[in-house]
Formats: sequence, C-alpha cells, structure tokens
Amino acid sequence: MIGDILTVAWKEWLEFRDQLLRLRRGGLSALVVLVMLGIFTPIQMGPLWLTSPLMLGYWPLLSSGMVSTLIADAFAGERERHTLETLLASRLSDRAILLGKLVAAMLYGLVFTLANVVVGVVTLTIVHWGEGLQAPAPSHVLYLFSLVTLACSTLAGIGVFISLKASTVRQAQQTLGIIMMVLFIGPVLFIQLLDGDARVSLAARLTTMGTGRIVAWACATLALLSAILIAMGMARFRRGKLSLD
Amino acid sequence: MTTPAIHADGLVRDFGPIRALDHLSFEVPAGIVFGFLGPNGAGKTTAIRTFLGLVDPTAGSARVLGYDTRREGDRIRERAGALLEHHGLYERLTAEQNLDFAGRIWRMSPGDRRARTRELLEQFGLYARRREAAGKWSRGMKQKLAVARAVFHRPPLVFLDEPTAGLDPVASAALRDDLAALASGQGVTVFLTTHNLVEAERLCDLVGVIRNGKLAALGPPSTLRPRETSTVRVSGTGLDASVAADVSALPGVLGAAIEGGELVVHLREGERASALVSLLVARDVGIDEVRRDRQSLEETFLELVHEDGDR
Ligand SMILES: Nc1ncnc2c1ncn2[C@@H]1O[C@H](COP(=O)(O)OP(=O)(O)OP(=O)(O)O)[C@@H](O)[C@H]1O
Ligand SMILES: [Mg+2]
Repeated sequence: MIGDILTVAWKEWLEFRDQLLRLRRGGLSALVVLVMLGIFTPIQMGPLWLTSPLMLGYWPLLSSGMVSTLIADAFAGERERHTLETLLASRLSDRAILLGKLVAAMLYGLVFTLANVVVGVVTLTIVHWGEGLQAPAPSHVLYLFSLVTLACSTLAGIGVFISLKASTVRQAQQTLGIIMMVLFIGPVLFIQLLDGDARVSLAARLTTMGTGRIVAWACATLALLSAILIAMGMARFRRGKLSLD
Repeated sequence: MTTPAIHADGLVRDFGPIRALDHLSFEVPAGIVFGFLGPNGAGKTTAIRTFLGLVDPTAGSARVLGYDTRREGDRIRERAGALLEHHGLYERLTAEQNLDFAGRIWRMSPGDRRARTRELLEQFGLYARRREAAGKWSRGMKQKLAVARAVFHRPPLVFLDEPTAGLDPVASAALRDDLAALASGQGVTVFLTTHNLVEAERLCDLVGVIRNGKLAALGPPSTLRPRETSTVRVSGTGLDASVAADVSALPGVLGAAIEGGELVVHLREGERASALVSLLVARDVGIDEVRRDRQSLEETFLELVHEDGDR
C-alpha cells in the first residue's frame, strides 16, 4: 500500500518536475517567487523574517497556494489528457491513487517552503556577514513546518475533491482560485467586521494564549479539516464512475 | 479443465437509452489470440471496460481469469494488461519513465524494469529514443510504446483495443508477429479489438463478430474467409459470342457472356466447372486460366455485419 502510494507520488513528481524545469508556465513563476520570497523579502525584513510569528501564518498560506496550482491537475488533468482510464485499469487501488496524488502535492508545498527558508537563511547570513548563521529557533521551525504540512494537506484535500468533480483542468483551477480567495480574504474581512472592543479582546486573548498554544489549536483544526476532506475524497472516488467521464 | 480466460454470460450494458452490450455470451479459452471484430459503436470498447471491472454490467455477468468482474475487479486488474481506447501515456514523461511507471505499479524490481524496458523497446526499434518525451513521438511510435506498456509486467491476459490503429503496414505486421509469439510462446491470452479483417484472419485463433452489442458470429477465422461464389471466369484464345451461347445451353449454367475478353459463366449453386471445361476443349478454345470468383474480405465482413435482424 505505502509502496503504491509512493509509486503514484513518484509519477506525479516527475510531471511537476518537468513543468518546473521547463521554466515555462509553472517553472518561471516558481523561480520568480523564490527570488522574491527567498531573497528580497528577507533582505527587506532583516532577521525578523526568521523570527516573526507572522511568518507562521504567511508560509502556510503561500505554500498551500502553491499546492492549489498543482492539485487542480490531479484528476481533471489525467481525464483531459486521457490517461485516467489507463491508470484506473492498473492494479493500483483507488486509495493508493488518491493518496499518492495528495502526498505528491503536499510534498510540493513543503519543498517550496523549505527551499524558500533555506535560501532566506543563506541570504540573511550573507547580508549579516560576521554575525554568524542567521537561523530561526528550533521551536519556530517545528511550528512552521507543522502548520505548512497541515495547511498543504487541507488544500490538497479540497483540491482533490474539486479535481474529481471538474471535467477540465481550467474548471478545477477556477473553482480552487475562488476558494483560495475566500481563504485569504476571509480572515481579514472577519477582523474588519469586529468592532474595536472585540478586536482588542481578541488580540489580548491571543497574546495570553502564546504562540505555542495558538499553533497547537491551528494544527488540530487543520488536521481535522484535512482528515474530513480526504475521507470525503475517498468516498467520492469511484472507479466505475470516473472512467466513464 | 482449465478455466477459460473470459466467460461472458448474458452481458448487458446500457448507457441511458443506448444498449452498448446486448446479451453477450461467449468464452475465450486461455492462451489464444481472440479478435473482437465489429463496426464503430458495436460495443467492443465497452466489452473491454466491463471485463476489466471499470464498468459494471447492467445485467448478466462475466468472469475473467475466473474472477467476477463486478466483485473482483481488483484481482482481474492485478493480472491483466491493457491498452485502452486512448494510449494513456504520460506525454510529459519520457518513454523510459512511462514504462518504468508501469513496472513500479506492478512491483517489478529495478533491475527487471531496466531489462524489460530494453527488451521491449529494442524489439520495437525505439530503444535509442527512450529518453525523449513520449508526447514528442509520432502516433505510431506512441502506439507501440503503449503496447509495450500493456505487456510490460508479463500479464497472463492482455486487452488491446485496436492495437494496430495508426501503425504502418510494416509495423502492423511486426506487431502481429510479436503478439502471435506472445500467445504461442508464453501462453498469454490476447483479447484484441479491430476493424480489420485481414488482421483478424492473420492473427487470431478465434474471432467474434459483434454488431449492435450482439454477437453476430463466433468461430475460427476460416469461417470468415471469403466464400466461393458461383461465378467462373475463363481467359484464353478463341472465346467469342458463339462459344458463350453454347456454354449458356449447358445444364447447370445460368448464364454466360464475354466481358472484357473473358468468358464469364454463372453456374448454379454447387455446380462444378468440369462440363464447361470439356465443352471449351471440344470447341478448340485455347484455355489459359479457369478461376472461380471469390467474395472479397470486405464483402464477407459487410455481410456479417449487416445480416438480417439489423436494427
Ligand atoms: N460512457 C458512455 N456514455 C454513453 N454512451 C456510451 C458510453 N460508452 C459507450 N457508449 C455507447 O455505447 C455504444 C458502444 O460504444 P463502444 O465504444 O463500446 O463501441 P466500439 O465498438 O468500441 O466502437 P469503435 O470501433 O468506434 O471504437 C456506442 O453507441 C456508444 O455511444
Ligand atoms: Mg472502441
């Protein structure tokens, strides 16, 4: 089972990699993003870039955004390019196919964050030459990657679900785009809607909770959400239905 | 008794108002090449999907390698290889990676995957180009690659939906040889669909003709071979209208005429040409050739496909 999941993930990776290496479409934008986020932003923000708790919200959102650009392709793309039925005619179980695609998309989001953080650390260390290695605290790293992993798996869960239903990649991308917008803008709107007092008390509550507890709560929520989404995706994934479309 | 590779029992499959398979019952013994022959929309692809458990029958049932397609589709897919309607290759991956993916799916060892890739691609003359993206290959090359992928894990049963579509005559012939070798040498059962009668005749041990989802004929290809007609053509010297008139008067002859310098004689069904030949010899005709007209393959196929009861 694990082997089968990895087999599917391996294939997905080869296809992503091909896209990235070609420097067209996904590739070029990934490079631009890397330069922007991994080099310019750290230079501008200085060491705060590594330690600010804000980054704990920033990276999960960004990396799950990257996941969303890929995951739309998962099933809609295979259907569009007429490879889905052959895949379904293989010995792979429904579960292995679904999870393989999820794992690949999640890994992509993780690697994206990791690459940026590494480049950022190197950039900051060079800029602040003589002050030693500029690296975030271990707890910060733990928080960051837990959140990124779960945010990516949540988004991959949403994406797989949409990709299963969509008949074209474009359609899946549009739906996901709208969902991403809601996810990005929703929290901002929510805070704006609160009146002054509520905002202050929310800030106070968050401050007393401390970063560790907030992260733990966020992780628990995301984990629950992605578990539900993945379960829904599995329930929806019916070989007979899919191959006919 | 060995289990038949495929056993279909009253298979029906409806797509809304369309009946794609209509009480299809037949058996494919293991280790042969079976050809499913039929016009567009006859239900060939639907039959393959049903056998692979990708589509459930509306009624009836099928057992493939002894497993029920409804309940045990995963067991069937584990043991079968398939080239479906679309070649199903990942065009962004190289040819080698496409095959490697198939090998990984079927849990072959890395060494075995490499060796098998080499063996199959060399056989198809594509090994030198294995590092190119499959999407950049020609249609026929992709088709060969897809066949290689279908048999990559050495399955005991292979489904091939129009395997020679897009192949040039030389490549088709080569593929036919490979498939024949696969069946005879390694005991693999090959289930292929085709529109091509010549292909069915050269390659298949058993042929089923499907029409409107129904089995129109089932048997060895010799049953499909063009039938003899009752027309005899004679070429030679000294053939003229008076000879034709004499021939027409022979018992068992329905009519005779000179057409394009040849004497064309319509015999009664089952009649031999000996009386005709004796007469021509007696009339001092210099006979070069006496031959019977045969129905063309195409005519035979059309006859099978359009036989009465067509709806
Ligand atoms: N998914 C589907 N939805 C609706 N109708 C379908 C579907 N699949 C097949 N059919 C119908 O079933 C009939 C048989 O189709 P099928 O693809 O099996 O024919 P075929 O013999 O493979 O034809 P061809 O030689 O053109 O490939 C057709 O009338 C087709 O329109
Ligand atoms: Mg077909």
